[in-house]
Amino acid sequence: MMDAGRHPLIDVFTLSEVVGLAGRPGNYRATIRTAPRYVDIDLCTGCGQCSEVCPVAVPNEFDMGLGTRKAIYSPFPQAVPNAYTLDFESCLNDVILACERCRQACDIHAIKYDDAPKEVTVPVGSVIVATGTGVYTPYLKGDYGYGIYPNVMTGLEYERLLNASGPTNGRVIRPSDGKVPEKVAFIQCVGARCTLAGGEYCSRFCCLNSAKCALLTKDHEPDVEEVSIHYIDMRAFGKGYDEFYRRTQGEDWIHYVRGKPSKILEDPKTHDLMLYTEDQKTGKPGIHKAGMVVLASAGLPNRQMTEPLGKLLGIETDEYGFFEARQSNTQALEATRDGIYLCGCSRGPEDIPDSVAQASGAAALAAKYLADDRIPPVVEDIPQVDTSGEPRIGVFLCHCGINIAHVLDVDKLGEAAKGLPHVVHVQSDLFACSDQAQRVIQEKVAEHKLNRVIAAACTPRTHEPIFRETLRLIGLNPYLFEMVNIRDQCSWVHTNEPIEAQKRANDQIRMAVARAARLEPLEKKELKVNPSAVVIGGGLAGMRAATDLAVQGFPVTLLEKSDKLGGRARELNVTFPEEYDAETLFNEAYDRLQNSGAIIKTETEIEKVDGFVGDFTVHTTNGPIKAGAIILAVGSDIYNPVGEYKYGLTAGVITNMELESLLAKKDDEIEVNGNPVKTAAFIQCVGSRDVKTNPGCSRYCCITTIKQALAMRKRGINVIVYYRDMRTFSHHAEQAYREAREAGVMFVRYNDDDKPEILGDKTVTGIKAYTESIGEEVECDAEMVVLAVGLSPYKETYAKLKEILKVPTGPDGFFMERHPKLGPVETNTEGIFVCGCAQGPKDLTDSVSQASGAAGKAATLLAHETVLLDPTTCEVDSYLCRDCGTCIEICEFHAPGRTEVAPGIFAAAINEALCKGCGTCAAMCPTGAIKARHFTDDQIDSMMKAFLLGTNA
Amino acid sequence: MATETKAEFKPKILVFACNWCSYAGADNAGVNRMQYPPDIRVIRTMCSGRVSPGHVIDAFRMGADGVLWSGCHFGDCHYIFGNYEAEKNYKKLEQMLKLMGVDHRRFRLEWVSAAEGNKWAALIKEFVEDIKAAGPSPHKQNGTKPVELPVI
Repeated sequence: MMDAGRHPLIDVFTLSEVVGLAGRPGNYRATIRTAPRYVDIDLCTGCGQCSEVCPVAVPNEFDMGLGTRKAIYSPFPQAVPNAYTLDFESCLNDVILACERCRQACDIHAIKYDDAPKEVTVPVGSVIVATGTGVYTPYLKGDYGYGIYPNVMTGLEYERLLNASGPTNGRVIRPSDGKVPEKVAFIQCVGARCTLAGGEYCSRFCCLNSAKCALLTKDHEPDVEEVSIHYIDMRAFGKGYDEFYRRTQGEDWIHYVRGKPSKILEDPKTHDLMLYTEDQKTGKPGIHKAGMVVLASAGLPNRQMTEPLGKLLGIETDEYGFFEARQSNTQALEATRDGIYLCGCSRGPEDIPDSVAQASGAAALAAKYLADDRIPPVVEDIPQVDTSGEPRIGVFLCHCGINIAHVLDVDKLGEAAKGLPHVVHVQSDLFACSDQAQRVIQEKVAEHKLNRVIAAACTPRTHEPIFRETLRLIGLNPYLFEMVNIRDQCSWVHTNEPIEAQKRANDQIRMAVARAARLEPLEKKELKVNPSAVVIGGGLAGMRAATDLAVQGFPVTLLEKSDKLGGRARELNVTFPEEYDAETLFNEAYDRLQNSGAIIKTETEIEKVDGFVGDFTVHTTNGPIKAGAIILAVGSDIYNPVGEYKYGLTAGVITNMELESLLAKKDDEIEVNGNPVKTAAFIQCVGSRDVKTNPGCSRYCCITTIKQALAMRKRGINVIVYYRDMRTFSHHAEQAYREAREAGVMFVRYNDDDKPEILGDKTVTGIKAYTESIGEEVECDAEMVVLAVGLSPYKETYAKLKEILKVPTGPDGFFMERHPKLGPVETNTEGIFVCGCAQGPKDLTDSVSQASGAAGKAATLLAHETVLLDPTTCEVDSYLCRDCGTCIEICEFHAPGRTEVAPGIFAAAINEALCKGCGTCAAMCPTGAIKARHFTDDQIDSMMKAFLLGTNA
Repeated sequence: MATETKAEFKPKILVFACNWCSYAGADNAGVNRMQYPPDIRVIRTMCSGRVSPGHVIDAFRMGADGVLWSGCHFGDCHYIFGNYEAEKNYKKLEQMLKLMGVDHRRFRLEWVSAAEGNKWAALIKEFVEDIKAAGPSPHKQNGTKPVELPVI
């Protein structure tokens, strides 16, 4: 949030809505109406004095009404912008009786009771709809007593209880009596997968959210004895999700209970709850007692918002109120009008990693209309202040209104600072971060020839960038600034011990002065960016990434190892859910690729990659290519089931990919050894969710089976599906699942440790499996068995690429993203991006959306002429280095390497383009040869001395 | 029972906090106004991996009564494995401090995330109590310069 809030090219409109959109793609005019905030956003420093004095307390929406907030408030601590809002509805101040407490408390005069709504019209090239989703409120249907029984709550409310800064400070306590419940029960699919209320679709995020909350429960409340999760199918489909699910299954206090309770009754005296459940093994009903019940409430769009917005923007919504995509597989991020794009839950429920990848994708697509209007970098010419002489330190102290000053004596802190070595100027301000105070800092730097500046105020995590920018603008190197946190980590937390707090603040300032004297000016290193990209892998994901970059005007080369593009999609017959012909789908994608101007090189492999972000050289079997960014889209292998389920030994046992090609021959009857197939059995999770082969879910197979089963039913073939959990989570998949059941497809659940057995030697004659609902092994005749095989890593290819690109693979063997939520398409190596099945198994839609995401991230890099590297990196003193290789071994970013410093003598050298500046190598270096810039041993040492020895030499 | 001199003992406690999780967690404690004893002084580093056993030993030689070293939970590290390296270094440190005869209550490695303000406040409270129970550190070296490690 902070990144978006602080970005110079992002204007954030809060409390605002779009009320009009005119024009055409590339040249829209959006009218935005902003509701009054009653607080001047530019003046408010977020100190919170207004909130302190406000006499009104109303339920806090952010805490789902579990806590309270004032009428003038900030919704949550990290809110962007960092300004308060006045909720005029609950404010006491009216014409007759003035309250005005907040206005009087505000030292900076930011509160304006006469604020009015504003309307502006801004020219925009494209529009991205990221309106998210609402949540199904069980209250509407009175499900499970929500809203009647105090101890029944929704998943979101439970999340607030678990949050350390939530209404209970992280305590899991019952609303009825404030006691910790002995047993907590989670009920899944409340309002999801349901035709009666909520939506028919799967909400995607709830299964894992409940598993996470279950695990956290014990962390927060060790006294909770049991957590049960009542579910239909556990849909732990994302990367690493199944591992997490297994981990929670391994806890003896977490019980997974299959089947949704039919109802809940409450003991009115104790407010304990009784869940009416069915034992799946015996089929007998039972009662499960719990002190607290959490309903995993589904994502449900707010139709009152989405439908009018859809009309206004000229885009369509579906039957639930989600925004409709142009085509489900390859144009999932495009709304039904040109120049308008979708991401996240606006188009259907999503989990965080997919949402974030889609957001980058939507940005990439939106950039198509903006390519010609890129804002050129501003060239600044600021004369630099000479900082080579003796340190001259200025200390600026902040009162932060009364936030600091009511505990600490700021003037006395200043007096103490005056006596410290190198300190030549001390002054204090009511709000050091205000524009006025920042100008004063600039004047004082010039007046006293300051070459080091210290601010003793709030936290550097939010305010260091502001001060640094102020200094940079007057030519003082921003790395000669040091911040002391005397608010968040002093006055706010030692309120009742002002004398000791004053001592702490004094010490921390003394430590900062010691460090400041040792700060060195650092220059951001500029690297030229070659505005071109190489995409490795010519499947649909690679094609999409190449297309999205090329239409923005970046030269792109698409490399494909085989002789034709299309990858796995070429093996498909029709795609889900629209039964779109796969051939047509490929041809459309190919046309778009060709029109985009990307260079296609088939039968080309990479051999070596040199360079770093902005300046790679990719050596291929067809010669070298220069590129600023690389996108990895090599896809994945398909699990080979040889030796399992008699595959390869018995005629009639085939994989789902083989069935796909049989189904492609539309007029041929499906037969085995010349005999027509009357019954076909599908076995799910072959080579998926298996710790021995592929530990994770392959995501695509359940829905592929549904698609194929429906096609088989159309040909009059009986179908039995043996499954573990039916994971039909994608768009329209749950509906298709229901359709398949209605069409007579039989679904039989098998246990992880009790797999179905195939009967027949030369040809398949039947299948035998323990069937839980009957309680014994059941044999069925079948002429064909289809194995739904999982996706697995291309072992050799991945091993080779890993070595060449220095991109690590995760425990599942797939390439590792930088961060599952914050960087789902980036890798640890800057300038290299990953998408599609190379990052982990996924279906066509998610692969292609993610490819757009990778293109979006690559474009952000390529759109700049240069990339600025943070100078707080590490460097090696080659004289001290003994070439032991410790740093090379521990660095995750491959920044240290070996270099020949004299004939035959080697030393480590750190590539600044790769170094992230964590300084771990400096701590691990046995000879002290590595210096972590801006956090040097000398600087740390000086701070320790200032505190422990009281010396500021 | 604590004697009167012990009640007056104000320990000098040095805290290393990583920028992304622990320092942010400490800020979070502030935002939520969670009170904890003011006996600590914090040095912010980018990663818990930046802290070396040498820093901690130096701190004890300069007269610190306790040293707390804090980083992100495993899997949360901004630099992926920096906290794992910190833990490795901490294991080495434990051995070294054992040889120096430093009471184990005086140093700790803890993981605190950006959202765990309450954990931070509780941790500082507990650590300060531990140090107060351990009493003034006997490891301060005379003179300002830390001396070399004893030869074993």
